[in-house]
Amino acid sequence: MVDYFRDIWRCRFFWMSLVRMDLRTRYRRSVLGMGWSLLQPIAMTVILCTVFHQVFDIQRVDYAPYVLAGLVCWNYILGVTVQGCGSIFQGESYIRQYPAPLAIYPLRTVLGAAIHFLIALSVVVVLSWYIHGFGNLAALPSLIPTLILLLILGWSLAVLASLTTVYFQDTQHLAEVGFQLLFYATPIIYVEDMLTERRMAWLVRFNPLVTLLRLIREPILNARVPDITTFASAVAIVCIAATAAIFMLYRLQRQIIFYL
Amino acid sequence: MAQIDLEKVSLTFRVRQHGRISLKEFIVRRMFRRSRNPLIRVDALRDVSLHIGAGQRVGIIGHNGAGKSTLLKLLAGIYPPTKGRRLVRGRISSLFDIALGFEPDASGWENIFFRGYLQGETPRSVRAKMQPIAEFSELGDFLDMPVRYYSAGMLVRLAFSIATAVEPEILLVDEVLAVGDMSFQDKARQRMRDMMVKAELIVMVSHDLESIAKLCERGIWLDHGQVRMTGDIHDVVAAYTQHVRGTAAQAA
Repeated sequence: MVDYFRDIWRCRFFWMSLVRMDLRTRYRRSVLGMGWSLLQPIAMTVILCTVFHQVFDIQRVDYAPYVLAGLVCWNYILGVTVQGCGSIFQGESYIRQYPAPLAIYPLRTVLGAAIHFLIALSVVVVLSWYIHGFGNLAALPSLIPTLILLLILGWSLAVLASLTTVYFQDTQHLAEVGFQLLFYATPIIYVEDMLTERRMAWLVRFNPLVTLLRLIREPILNARVPDITTFASAVAIVCIAATAAIFMLYRLQRQIIFYL
Repeated sequence: MAQIDLEKVSLTFRVRQHGRISLKEFIVRRMFRRSRNPLIRVDALRDVSLHIGAGQRVGIIGHNGAGKSTLLKLLAGIYPPTKGRRLVRGRISSLFDIALGFEPDASGWENIFFRGYLQGETPRSVRAKMQPIAEFSELGDFLDMPVRYYSAGMLVRLAFSIATAVEPEILLVDEVLAVGDMSFQDKARQRMRDMMVKAELIVMVSHDLESIAKLCERGIWLDHGQVRMTGDIHDVVAAYTQHVRGTAAQAA
């Protein structure tokens, strides 16, 4: 396994330059550049705030950064999985020519998504400064381990998604449907309490995304470092995903070329 | 020292009759236990044992579908052997499917970098080779354009120029002698000859028996995935030609 990571590192110039190109095309192609790709979560936040304010008469100023933080985190997880599905096919022509480690192709997708996630997350931080002031500065460094965990999780998800897609081409379609369900089962646009009050606490307990959302929201919105149990369960989630990804790569890495 | 060893290597492809299956189909089939999309086994290579040492230039010949390109890809490490052992020592540079593997939206210059990195170059070493690559390809201002708009010939020119800018220990070549237009073909042939002098070990596949006899010393004749004959290239080519003529005469 050490050798495998060494091989990944050896072709770092290759995948790094592809990530750079992906980001350049993503941000340079449009007049609005960066803002263009942030448009979706921001528009969604504005709509939700207006609707909840008008229809449900919720009077909470902190709702906007709450929902934006949720959406940004959600978009990252959704993005790495759904875009990750195609990542091996995207690299097919390289795979047919050079025996480079397969994991670099999902990595390309994940790094692009991660950088976009960082940009979007900084918008959330600025928004919360605007509403709550700078009280959260002391808690923000706790985001660093969180981001590392999310990066590993994203890579694992993308590896799993891409390998499955090579065998079953409808994986992306199924993933999209599954994520649609998961979206409403996760406290992204509503708060956790709304579930627990309605005796749906089990939904919170068994949803791994809840833990990840807490790690993002607690320091930014509540100026609190997440407690150690939240971190521990996040580490457990990431470990499970990473083990599954490594196991599948180990089993399929050499065979995949026959299925492309 | 460059070295290639194959020990009783077999490679079996398993192909589905109707292309890929979907997860839906997979589950349905499990339920009804009936397969309408059977696997077909293709024995691309059977019990191939080879030893190629440094300094050898080997030409592989045989009819279409004999397993020549498969063998080359196995040597390159792209196909794993189904059975047997493969041992390759030395830095490999391969010239096959070279028109593949471009980022269509990136410019020619950028693609020089991507390809170069994939071949194990560093930013510094690619920069040193960029100008020679550009000059050899003769693409000029086209290099600023996204590769998407290149013609097939232009793509091959660029690919060939990048792929041959490295100094490999092991060179694997699959029918690239006929690249580009007439003037470029001459240049390409010259470049190939230069590379063949520099590389320690060469394996090439070609249907052009005349040029393969000029470029290589040792020949391997593959027939239905098996080594039918190996030895001096002139003997192998002669035997192969005779065999082809014989079957043609029989048919007539």
